[in-house]
Parts: sequence; C-alpha cells; structure tokens
Amino acid sequence: MAATGVSTNQSVALKRTLNFGLQLLGALLIIVLVPIAFGMQWRNFEPLLDGITLRFLLFGVVATVVVSLVAIILSLPLATGLALGRLSPIAAVRWPSIAIVEVVRSLPLLLVIFYVNLRFPLIDKLENLKLGNPDSFFGIELDRLLSRGALAVAIALTVYTAAVNAELLRSGINSLDRGQTEAARSLGLTYWQTMRLVILPQAFQRILAPLIAQFTILVKDTSLGSIIGFVELQRRAVILYQRDFNPMEALFVVALIYFAVNYLLGLTSKLVERKRPSVHVTVPEF
Amino acid sequence: MFDLSADYWSLIGQGVLITLWLTLVSWVVALLMGILLGVLRQAPVGILRAVAAGYTEFFRNIPLLTVLFFIYFGVPNTGIRINAINSAIIGLSLYTAAYVGEVVRAGLGTVSKGNIEASRSLGLSFLQSMRYVQMPQAVRAAIPPLGTLLIALLKNTSLASQVTVADLFFQADFVGNRTFNPDILLIAGAIYVALTLPLGATVNLAEKRWAIQR
Repeated sequence: MAATGVSTNQSVALKRTLNFGLQLLGALLIIVLVPIAFGMQWRNFEPLLDGITLRFLLFGVVATVVVSLVAIILSLPLATGLALGRLSPIAAVRWPSIAIVEVVRSLPLLLVIFYVNLRFPLIDKLENLKLGNPDSFFGIELDRLLSRGALAVAIALTVYTAAVNAELLRSGINSLDRGQTEAARSLGLTYWQTMRLVILPQAFQRILAPLIAQFTILVKDTSLGSIIGFVELQRRAVILYQRDFNPMEALFVVALIYFAVNYLLGLTSKLVERKRPSVHVTVPEF
Repeated sequence: MFDLSADYWSLIGQGVLITLWLTLVSWVVALLMGILLGVLRQAPVGILRAVAAGYTEFFRNIPLLTVLFFIYFGVPNTGIRINAINSAIIGLSLYTAAYVGEVVRAGLGTVSKGNIEASRSLGLSFLQSMRYVQMPQAVRAAIPPLGTLLIALLKNTSLASQVTVADLFFQADFVGNRTFNPDILLIAGAIYVALTLPLGATVNLAEKRWAIQR
C-alpha cells in the first residue's frame, strides 16, 4: 500500500511538472510566434530598450501594482461587511447587501471608473495637488500616483472588487461546517465574537488562493485607468508609441510585462492553493 | 434630471444595438474558438496541447484593453485594414476564447475516464469520441461558467468604446459630455444591469433544464 501511495504521489508530481512545462513552452511559443506573424521589426523595439524608457516602463508596473494593492486591501473590509450582510438573518440588512453586490457586479467597470472620476465627492480638488518635486524623476512619479486619475481608479476598483470579494467570502463562509458556528455560539460567544474569532479567520484562509487570483484581475483592470489619465503601464505604452510610431511593438512589450507580472501572481496563487486547498469558487475570474 | 431630447435617446438606443451586436458576434466566434482550444488541450499531439495552453495562459494574463489597442492601432501598420467594429469583435473574441477554452477544458475534465476509454475501445477515433461522448457531457457541465463568461463579455464590450466603436457606453459618454451631465452614465448603467440580470436568470434556468442528473 505504502509503495503505491508513493508512486501515485510521484506520478502526480510528474504530471504537474509536465503540465507546467507544457504551458510555459506554449506561452513562449506564442511570444515568439506573434512578432513573426505580425512582421514586427527589431528597429521598432530598439527605442524601447534604452535606460530611461525602461525605467519609465518599470515605474508603470509600480503604479499598476500599487493601485491594485491599495484597491484589494481597501476592498476587504467592505467585502466582509457585504458578505456578512448578505448572510444576515435580518431582511433589512440582507436585501440591500444583495442589491449592492448584484448591481455593482453587473455594471461594466469602465462605467464605474468614469462615474467615480466625474462625480465622486471632492475628487476634483485633487487636480492641483502637487506634492512631489517636479524636477526630480521620483517627484514626477509620486505625483502620477497621487493624481486624480489614480485616485478615481483606486476608488472604483475598491468598490468593484468589494462586490466580487463579498461573493468569494460568502462562499468561503458557507463552505465552513455549520458545527463551527453552533459550537462557538454554545460556548457563549456572541455573534460578532463568533465571526471575528472563529468564522472569518477560517473563511479568509480558504479564500486566500482565489484572492490572489483576483489580484491578477485587478492588475489587468487598472489598465482602464489609462483612459481617464492615470499614467500606468498601458498608458505608458500609448505615450511611447506616440513618440516612436511603433504601436505594435510597444503594446506587445507592455503585454509581455503584464503577462510576466500576472503569470508570477498566478503561480503564487497555485502554490498557496497547494498548501491550503481553497473552496471551490463560483465567482467568475474575468 | 434626465429630460433628454429624442435625438439623444435615439443615440443611446443605437448604442444598445451595437453593444448587443458586439456581444452576439464575439460570443459566437469565442465559443467556436474556445471549443477548439478546449479540445486541443486534450489532443494526442504534444505541440498542439502546448500551443493551446500557451494561448490560454497568454490571453488570460494580459488586459483586454491592450489587445484591443494592439488590433485597432497596431495591426494596420502591417497594411491590413480593419474597421473599428470588426477589430473590436476580433479583440473581444480572441480574449474571451481563452476563457471559454479553459471552461471547456474543465468541462471535459468532468467526463469520467471510463467513458473515454470505453468509447475509444469501441473503435471511435479521438474526434468521434469527442463529438459523440465527451462534448455532450462537457457542454452541459460548462453551462453555468459559460453563462458568467457571456455576462462578462457583455460588460467587456464597453471597452470597445475606446477604439471608437459607438456602443452603449460610448453614446452615454458622448451624450453626457454634450449635455454637461455625467449622470447620463447612470442611464447606461441601468441598461447594462437590465441586460445582464435577465441574462443571469436565463443561465440559471438553462442550468436547471440541461443539468446532468447525477
């Protein structure tokens, strides 16, 4: 019995490695085939490779990741509130929570971003906020991170992700055994104590892997900020190809950067998943 | 708050039609491509599996906006001319197909190994086994996730507005700018909600109707 157990483990590991290798090989193949298929030229890649341009792109990644990180962290308390609201026995709490989650999830993100950008209270006060030193590189980058566009994207993504994460957390809570709540309540814990000390810590552990996967979606979604003037990675591609007249090459390079960042995040999510198997997620990862 | 002239309402109406058209055509193309990708993931030839897996990984990890920009602003540099609406359809299909492929693959994963082995040992070829044994089961298992993808596609068509396609979002933004009233976006929002929520309900019905009884 022990021998078969070991060999099954080995074959599973081998299969996993093979699949992983296949995926990576395929991705590399696509990365090589696309430039050939579209007849991209090396001289169009060259202007993207000097130090200043690469630094410009690198800080695009930083801006993208920082805003995504802010959004996902701020969304968690909101998501917890919405998830608990949706599971609440009180109808006056439950129905508004359901309505908020369902409506926000069925709006296009672009619309949310535009509306926040135009109508969020006090957001137009940010227009003239200049904190960084305009003569230094980091000062300019700091101002880009504190710009109105960046704030609008961060707020919109927070609201949007809160609705998605609320569903995620709800499935996490639902996946826990009912006995957990019952035991906690019979030990004399109040509802809030039960949630805070027993249910939520376990639920969050179970949704950790899908939460990281959600983060990759956020990284992709920040690209919508380019439309309202947030200078993140996608916007920088546009700026660069308007300088060098190489839209295909600039967008391809930026796509590769997005791919690299998200692929690494995806691997992290898979590693976490292997350590702590998560709930089966029914929330769309799109 | 929303006393718009009839011309503006007709623009928004045209936008709805374009949005629905984009969704419909992209969905059909994405579905066909996705099924192909899902089948290729099981193909007996390693290189096909690799290409399908690579395609899926690549498109799932880059933003849709980059894809749309690449096709609308980039590809014409090769001499190929595509108009705005077609390039949006191509971009949306390429992007959505990767997700559909993943769903189809997961659906094929639910088919028991015994079924596949039985069909193969009865003399069906790989394609015949796909067509008559695996696909019918996989598609039914894939209905709920396909429904969420369709809804996501409907929402994603709003990005086509950024490559000059006059869809619902584009028109709402245009009317909002013309009338100095950003709240017009709320009308568009209400229309999107009114389109997606019934779609979700329909998917739930379809799931109940065609679910495999186990």
